[in-house]
Amino acid sequence: MVNLEDLKKEAKMLLEEGKVKYIIGYERSTNGLMSVPAFIKNPKNVERLVWDPSCIYNLTRFLVDEKRRKAREKKPDTRPVGIVVKGCDSRAVVVLLQEKFINREDVYILGVSCEGTGVVDEKKLAEKLKGKRPDKIEFDEKDNFIITSNNEKIKIPAQEILAERCLECRASFPVIYDELLGEKVERKSGEPFKSLEKIESLAKEDRWAFWKEQLDRCIRCYACRSVCPMCYCDECVVDTISFAVTADTAAEEKAQKIKWVEKSPDSSENFVYHLVRAIHLAGRCIDCGECERVCPLDIPIRFLNKKLEKEAKELFDYDVGFDPEKPSLVSSFKDEDPEDFIR
Amino acid sequence: MADDFEPKIVAFLCKWCSSAGSDLAGVSRMQYPPNVIPITVMCSGSISPLYILSAFKKGADGILVSGCHPGDCHYIKGNYYARRRIALVKKLLEYIGLEPQRFQMSWVSAAEGTKYTQIIKDFVDDLKPIGPQTKLRRSS
Repeated sequence: MVNLEDLKKEAKMLLEEGKVKYIIGYERSTNGLMSVPAFIKNPKNVERLVWDPSCIYNLTRFLVDEKRRKAREKKPDTRPVGIVVKGCDSRAVVVLLQEKFINREDVYILGVSCEGTGVVDEKKLAEKLKGKRPDKIEFDEKDNFIITSNNEKIKIPAQEILAERCLECRASFPVIYDELLGEKVERKSGEPFKSLEKIESLAKEDRWAFWKEQLDRCIRCYACRSVCPMCYCDECVVDTISFAVTADTAAEEKAQKIKWVEKSPDSSENFVYHLVRAIHLAGRCIDCGECERVCPLDIPIRFLNKKLEKEAKELFDYDVGFDPEKPSLVSSFKDEDPEDFIR
Repeated sequence: MADDFEPKIVAFLCKWCSSAGSDLAGVSRMQYPPNVIPITVMCSGSISPLYILSAFKKGADGILVSGCHPGDCHYIKGNYYARRRIALVKKLLEYIGLEPQRFQMSWVSAAEGTKYTQIIKDFVDDLKPIGPQTKLRRSS
């Protein structure tokens, strides 16, 4: 069991000793149940920190923002940033370290273990409570969540309201940390790619129909890109908004700035956008599920990214986000890589 | 599909092997279908997945990526990187429901003009029965 007091004590000590610039963690949101990201600079405010199954966000995205902010400052504060990470989020930190986007000394990792459970899915929870307003949600000792609603305690088996990604969790405790809170408990779920089978087992034309229906809905708000800790390019290939071709645009200029994807949310353009994003996340996506959570049209984007995580594992025996020293998937190769598809 | 359908194949050929191989087929006056549009790139490892998606979007019925045999790359290991990347793209395209025949990869050396013509012949034969590619093609 993660003791919240330990987390607060640790955070307070780090801030008081000036070891970290600030701490990125979770705090209670104003609507009561769910938690939101918290940025704590003052040691007095550590009381705001929380840790419970409502901490669904992947806070690693803020490390990307922090790097940008630091680059703009004239005299940057070089102290590390404290960050609270779950097991899955810690894999995102590993990928950022692996790609040398951040340095190990830029970040002080406060790892929290999910201990065999995980975080809740808001929609599943709402369905379960049938209109009752939850006030509090806690971990139980044994695979249950305890929800307090109007002073009434409800026990729900974790399996029923866990987020989809937690059911296929590959790291229930942080794989990298400076300070670990809670126990290292291995999860029981042995099938990390089971949910994909539902789509993979469809016939080719049905798969096409499924993806066409899903991706046609995309309005290209790019929320998935904005929330993704791995989408940190300064200039994205799909942004060619500022490039207008006029009569006196030189051929060279055109060649320098090719319009790979049109802005319009047409079927073909949506496919290019989503496929390119999936490819760019191959061997980098750690399945934190944030893209799917923020999608206003509920497109199952996770299943695109997860498919490539699966292929990386099956074809190249590559595990995403466990070893910061390993070269990344597409910047390495083995002599024995499969080539049965090549003529 | 109608018998008169002629598939349009975009072939990304690496400059040092496959492009020279197709050139050999040309200068040796070997007969092969004219459906292929060759695009020479410096190395098969330089082919971005965006090239492939973009070509499909612009109406290619099939795409061939061709490079040097493993170990023969002019840049020592470019084709190894390509092999990994193209495998992922191929899996992804199949996953979303594109016909697997539409996207192929081959190793063609500068001496293999015959192999090149055979690959194009087979490719055209593969594509003719499945008809034009409309799934990823831009409609407007």
